[in-house]
Amino acid sequence: MITVEDTRVIGEARVLAGLEQGRLDLQRHLMTHGPQPQLTRDDYVRLCEAVGLRGRGGAAFPVALKLQDLPARGVEAVVVNGSESEPVSRKDRLLLTRSPHLVLDGAVGLAHALRAPHVLIAVHDGAAAMSLREALMERDDRLAIEVRETPGRFVAGEARAVLSALEGGKAVPPGRRVLPTRKGYHRRPTFLSNVETFAQLAVLARLGSRGFSSTGLTSEPGTQLLTIDGAVQRPGVIETPTGVPLDTVLQYAGAEPGPVLLGGYHGRWLAQTEGVMLQRPEVSAGIVLALGSSTCPLGEVTRVAEWLRGQSAGQCGPCVFGLASLVDDFARLTAGDPQGWHDAQRHLGLVPGRGACAHPDGTARFLTSALEVFADDVRRHLSGQGCGRPVLGVLGGTR
Amino acid sequence: MNKVEIDWTRCDGHGLCAGLLPDNIVLDEWGFPVLRDREITAGELPDARRAVLACPALALRLSNR
Repeated sequence: MITVEDTRVIGEARVLAGLEQGRLDLQRHLMTHGPQPQLTRDDYVRLCEAVGLRGRGGAAFPVALKLQDLPARGVEAVVVNGSESEPVSRKDRLLLTRSPHLVLDGAVGLAHALRAPHVLIAVHDGAAAMSLREALMERDDRLAIEVRETPGRFVAGEARAVLSALEGGKAVPPGRRVLPTRKGYHRRPTFLSNVETFAQLAVLARLGSRGFSSTGLTSEPGTQLLTIDGAVQRPGVIETPTGVPLDTVLQYAGAEPGPVLLGGYHGRWLAQTEGVMLQRPEVSAGIVLALGSSTCPLGEVTRVAEWLRGQSAGQCGPCVFGLASLVDDFARLTAGDPQGWHDAQRHLGLVPGRGACAHPDGTARFLTSALEVFADDVRRHLSGQGCGRPVLGVLGGTR
Repeated sequence: MNKVEIDWTRCDGHGLCAGLLPDNIVLDEWGFPVLRDREITAGELPDARRAVLACPALALRLSNR
């Protein structure tokens, strides 16, 4: 388990600035970052467009487009999605527990610019909620700001599931695909994004587009938070410039050589790490998992698949039956049954695009890339010999 | 252009839609509809409307996007 003490910076510290001595209370926050300038809605659109800021929750949607999709008036709420339901990710909890004022500055500044009367922060971690409530006692934002604890299931972190939970409903994605910018909190226009997005907005408001663009990629300048875990000596959260080479991050964290899973449990396996640059959308919510070389890849993948199956909200037939079938297929294939491989190929085609949320799609993406990248291991298992390695549980994904 | 859509949170795999719209919907091995990604032609529209009304779970919709 990663603790928030394990935080590092490659290059310039921005959203993690000032954390060397621990949590930033309001005074230390202001000493580190300075006051939040009050910008207009047009300023935010212009800045976000200039630096190509993308949401940091995984979908990497351009923030400027999301802002432009909101109606000119009548924005009901700014929602900070702090549910961080991806089990390996720690970056949002780190920001909420250590630099809560930066996140609040980002959310409150935008709410004022959009004339939204409410700021809602959804978290499902007691320490994060406590840190936010403590921070709110130090501030006077002349806005209704609420911290709400929402359930911890994987799909409960999906944007529309969070909105449903905030309205007092079940934390599951609804069956109709509607945009929060049109029908969000209480079916009113809502700006919702991930915790890190708001911290980056607070930094962007202070630095301006030129200052913000002094590091990172030209196409998407600035910094990003990564969570690195698995077969590494120093797991934790790292702030890096966008586009940092994956090999640099792996070396920095002391990763064992071996395959890497990029983007978390809904992400993709990489055949090789050389030349890979960490950027959106591939890096998704910033999770880098090193597998190492002493564990059985197919066994690890099957464990994660089983965890993902258990995280289905159970609403949609193809997800319920499809993921259960896939877990069974992968278990049989790992045990050397060729029919398991054939069934997996068929089921992987039947799952994507057939649910209320992207859980079946993400799971299929993860498993499809595993069959491609671990093709040699698949052959070894199907020859009846196995790969001769135990399943160490490097990726997490408990039963 | 008309297309059929499924609310997956409602669909229980009754399968009536596949019987009424065989050119657009087949059933998977678990009995849930698989949509062929094609438009509903003007001639098929009455059948499509009938399938929407026949769905016991109110999970089928016609969209024109």
